[in-house]
Amino acid sequence: MSHPQGSFILQVEDLNVYYGAFHAVRDVSFDVRPGEIFGLLGPNGAGKTSTLSAVEGLLKPRSGSIQVDGHLLSEQPLHARAAMGVQLQSTSFQPELTVAEIIQLYAGIYGVKLTKDRLLKTLDDIKLAEAATKKFGQLSGGQQQRVSLVIATIHDPRLVLLDEPTTGLDPQSRRQLWERIEAIREKGHAVLLTTHSMEEAEAVCDRVGIIDHGRVITVDTPLSLIDRYRDDPEVVLASRRGKITLEDVFIGITGKDIRS
Amino acid sequence: METNIPSTSTVLSALLRADFTTQWRNRRSFILILIVPVIILISWKGAVDQGRGPLALSTCITVGLIAIGLMGYSNAIARDRDKGIFQRLRVAPVPSWAIMASRLSVQLAMILLVTLGVFLGGYYIDHLSISPAGYALALLTAFVGGAVYLGLGQVIVGLIRNPETVNSTTRLVYFTFIMVGMFGQFGAFGTLTQQIVVWSPYGTVEKILTASMQPSTWTGDTSKALFLTILYAAVFFAIGIKRFQWSGRS
Repeated sequence: MSHPQGSFILQVEDLNVYYGAFHAVRDVSFDVRPGEIFGLLGPNGAGKTSTLSAVEGLLKPRSGSIQVDGHLLSEQPLHARAAMGVQLQSTSFQPELTVAEIIQLYAGIYGVKLTKDRLLKTLDDIKLAEAATKKFGQLSGGQQQRVSLVIATIHDPRLVLLDEPTTGLDPQSRRQLWERIEAIREKGHAVLLTTHSMEEAEAVCDRVGIIDHGRVITVDTPLSLIDRYRDDPEVVLASRRGKITLEDVFIGITGKDIRS
Repeated sequence: METNIPSTSTVLSALLRADFTTQWRNRRSFILILIVPVIILISWKGAVDQGRGPLALSTCITVGLIAIGLMGYSNAIARDRDKGIFQRLRVAPVPSWAIMASRLSVQLAMILLVTLGVFLGGYYIDHLSISPAGYALALLTAFVGGAVYLGLGQVIVGLIRNPETVNSTTRLVYFTFIMVGMFGQFGAFGTLTQQIVVWSPYGTVEKILTASMQPSTWTGDTSKALFLTILYAAVFFAIGIKRFQWSGRS
């Protein structure tokens, strides 16, 4: 069953995820629109990765619905997965395969015809043409991240999911990654990402959702959130530079306590 | 917007290509799997000279099948699960069964190679040859027997998540199967153990392999052993698949 194209590329409604008796995600609802970078922010253990895993189809939610590009994940999992590209938090590929072979594998899986010329151009685009015959484990963290992103977007998906994509990257690699993510947005496709970097979220995300203790506390543009919480005593207390930032709002809303 | 999902054959061929390439790059492990059967072929030359060639061949193939199922298959699955390779595949439009079908196809190819390797070794080392029908039937039986040990490997990765624990467990089970199986079948550990070994996964696989090399020796007991072999494989796979978790993290 194919649903008519709506105004959302991803729609999550009343999502509930449990690990045994532990209620990790509680009635989470949000949507991601075409041409939007949506950031899911939250402290460690808040439920970001669990929410993302449910959207990716790796976790089966107890209740709620997830619709990707008009396809209900529960009814048409393969269609929904074909419409999304995913970069997992700790991406790993078969260590025996070369970079070129890994890209060819995923091109095949997504049904993309990849000629030798196109493969070389793809590798050239991410400045990894000379690494085509290297094994994935031999690449640096930044190079691995570039390969992962190429694989996540090899089929030109309508929705790209990125779980903490900039973790461990140097400033150059991070800048390049953001440029690639912004290029996805410019094509009218959508990006859902999780990050711990509030500066990056404020600078790049069109909207952010703050999640804590499994619940979405608020969803808005970074500027609107700053405006809305500007006078909140907790946020003012969290502010250290005089100027209220998204990080101050985040700390003000979720608290200063360090989560395990 | 209509989303196109790739055909199953396209997905399977991409997976098979990657899995066979991975296996080829790990060809040293195949040599290690073949070493024990070849040693048995050499050391059992006396038994071969006494006309027990098919028993020697079936013992070698059985040992090879145990190594494939326990040492090769389960360790590869445990490692890839721990590294998150399966999770990465599962977020793509790949049916879960296709991931496993591709992995099992590689193991079937390994069974074919080990069986042919033992036949070649038997021919060149012990000058053993059997009828063409015997070779064909033994090859077919090797696939059935191989399923038992692949199923046992699946049980191990179904029950144990940690790859190091899987590795040590498979080594222990492999060693136990070989020692108790090979020596127990001749009564080295008493009559009761001998009876248990004969109808254990080790004994039934060896029995059907021996009989398939000499089709005229196939008896009611061999049919019973074949039935038990299929039953073992079905039970092992049922438990292994039911308990299997794709993620290495709990």
